[in-house]
Amino acid sequence: MDILANLGHGFTVAFSFTNLLFALIGALIGTAIGVLPGIGPVATISLLLPITFGQPATTAIIMLAGIYYGAQYGGSTTAILLNLPGEISSVVTTLEGYKMARNGRAGAALATSALGSFFAGTVATVLVAGSGPLLTSVALSFGPADYFSLMLLGLIISAVLAQGSVLKSVAMVVLGVALGLVGTDVQTGQQRFTFGIPELSDGIGFVALAMGMFGIAEIILNLERPEARSVLKTKVGNLWLTREEFRRATPSVLRGTLVGSVLGILPGGGASLASFGSYMMERKISRGRNMFGQGAIEGVAGPEAANNAAAQTSFIPLLTLGIPANAVMALMVGALIIQGIQPGPRMVEAQPDLFWGLIASMWIGNVMLLVINLPMIGMWVKLLQVPYKFLYPSILVFCCIGSYSINNNVFDVYMTVLFAVFGVVCAKLKMEPAPLLIGFVLGPMMEEHLRRAMLLSRGDPMVFVQRPISATMLAIAAVALIAMLMPTLRKGKEAAMAG
Amino acid sequence: MKLNAKDIAAGALLVLLAVIGLWLNQDHALGSARRMGPGYMPMLVFWLQFGLGSLVLATALFNGPDPLQKWTGTEITTLIAGIVVGTLVWKLAPALGTFFESTYNAVGLGMLAGFLVVCIAKGWSLIGFICAAMCVFSLLLEQGGLMLALIGTILVACAAEPEHRQRPLGVLGMGIFLLALCWWVFIKQLDIRVAVWPQF
Repeated sequence: MDILANLGHGFTVAFSFTNLLFALIGALIGTAIGVLPGIGPVATISLLLPITFGQPATTAIIMLAGIYYGAQYGGSTTAILLNLPGEISSVVTTLEGYKMARNGRAGAALATSALGSFFAGTVATVLVAGSGPLLTSVALSFGPADYFSLMLLGLIISAVLAQGSVLKSVAMVVLGVALGLVGTDVQTGQQRFTFGIPELSDGIGFVALAMGMFGIAEIILNLERPEARSVLKTKVGNLWLTREEFRRATPSVLRGTLVGSVLGILPGGGASLASFGSYMMERKISRGRNMFGQGAIEGVAGPEAANNAAAQTSFIPLLTLGIPANAVMALMVGALIIQGIQPGPRMVEAQPDLFWGLIASMWIGNVMLLVINLPMIGMWVKLLQVPYKFLYPSILVFCCIGSYSINNNVFDVYMTVLFAVFGVVCAKLKMEPAPLLIGFVLGPMMEEHLRRAMLLSRGDPMVFVQRPISATMLAIAAVALIAMLMPTLRKGKEAAMAG
Repeated sequence: MKLNAKDIAAGALLVLLAVIGLWLNQDHALGSARRMGPGYMPMLVFWLQFGLGSLVLATALFNGPDPLQKWTGTEITTLIAGIVVGTLVWKLAPALGTFFESTYNAVGLGMLAGFLVVCIAKGWSLIGFICAAMCVFSLLLEQGGLMLALIGTILVACAAEPEHRQRPLGVLGMGIFLLALCWWVFIKQLDIRVAVWPQF
């Protein structure tokens, strides 16, 4: 059993003191930002990116991953206790979870969510371990044309599944690719769109872009909204599930895990889509469907399992193909590239420590999160009492120091300011920043593959439809695009997004 | 009318950026499809963006109404004033001393001035103070040291939230906590190469 041997290796990597410590730090930070509304995993990871530069790549990714799946655990706490989603992925948890809390079953809802997440996380870890090497061997037979089409497919699906107008999301992807063009042309060494600014010859700073558009712009937008934070009125109560509750929650957790695992792998998917999908499914087919609206445990168990499963399986396309499925994964690509690692199918072979260590740490992290969340729930509830007006100066200060420390240059801070303004403009015009970030990360890779493919085909663009793999990808992309532009399906998506 | 003002602005922005991109791209050799020059991919990308932007514009005529937030007279005036003042300060800054002869310090001072002017309008004060706070940080950091830069940033950032002005004690407590935290994380643990105290 090759996988077992590799997993064993992964566990030795993950059990090193530093890696355990940083998995714990990641899980703690993740839970904290999950609990706190107003700051999400994308903003947090982008503002912690500069801190990870000094660490080995494996440690850095272990910590950042911990933040992402930790946020899925933490987000449910506020959703259940306060009817306030800490993360987008826990919006649907408020629907049944808060009702359960009002019925005096807050403890049961929290326990269901944590245990369901843990189960889903374990299954997803096994999935990542099993499918990783398999997909990698497929991906190694890809030519440049196939790669280009695969990335195009990833970009289009991520735009199609993004919130808001599909057309604008596709346009944002293209704008992201355009921003990725800035810098030195790899093949000729010519400076493109740098305006003679030496700092731009390496391209627009990834951290400055992400921090500005997600970190700072979010502060400004959050401050505009009046703060809605009620004081905890419900008691947590007994954490144990009754036999009846356990019997009802189990099939929902299983279904949620399945839905989440599948939706997580899809580009543009990820935790929030998964929890919506699972909620819709539970409301239609679960045995407690007629109790929905009165605190049905199925409505907590399914979505919570789904969002955690998705948070983990969304690493699959990143680790095996080098393609980020969502904005968080785009940040991971950035982190890897800064560490000098090119994400792609060769990573499993070339960086076994990173690949298997990350997988093992995911499972360890889930165990940690179970402990962090269930017995220590009172501590997180206290954290909720920190008002946003004391929180935002800290985020701002961390962004300032973080963006400066990338190159020890104030230029990056000013770039962050510019992207913050741009981020606010985009939010006002309902232009989604997430597709832009994914386009920005994939753009340079796409250009390289496009050039290589066209060189090999002697300038014949037909190569993209003649190669079967590439043609399939393009066909799927076209179908997805056309389907989403049709009114009936679009309504379905809007309904799902609205919960 | 079903005009979607948000989409019209979004489409116009996309088209404008695409046109600027195409215009700048004239400097780059296109090459051929077989051997693409540095200008080939930008050409494809910006034309695509131009097309998509136009489509957004075209559909905006029918899928509204989705109006933009109304801008008051003060907001428009301060925005223009902010840009003018910012540019003037940027251009005049080198005369203020050797520190501002370095390009980014001059630009930074200009941005700071611009953002502060914009704050006069109530609707802009959030974005103005937050961005100004970041400019204060970069202006103070290299000569004033980390602590001074942090104090400046926190004070300006807190100006964005009216509640802070009434309760300066809360700001003081938070400031001391943040200074200690940043010192511990960035100096003690991560050891980033930056002066902690003012340099003379």
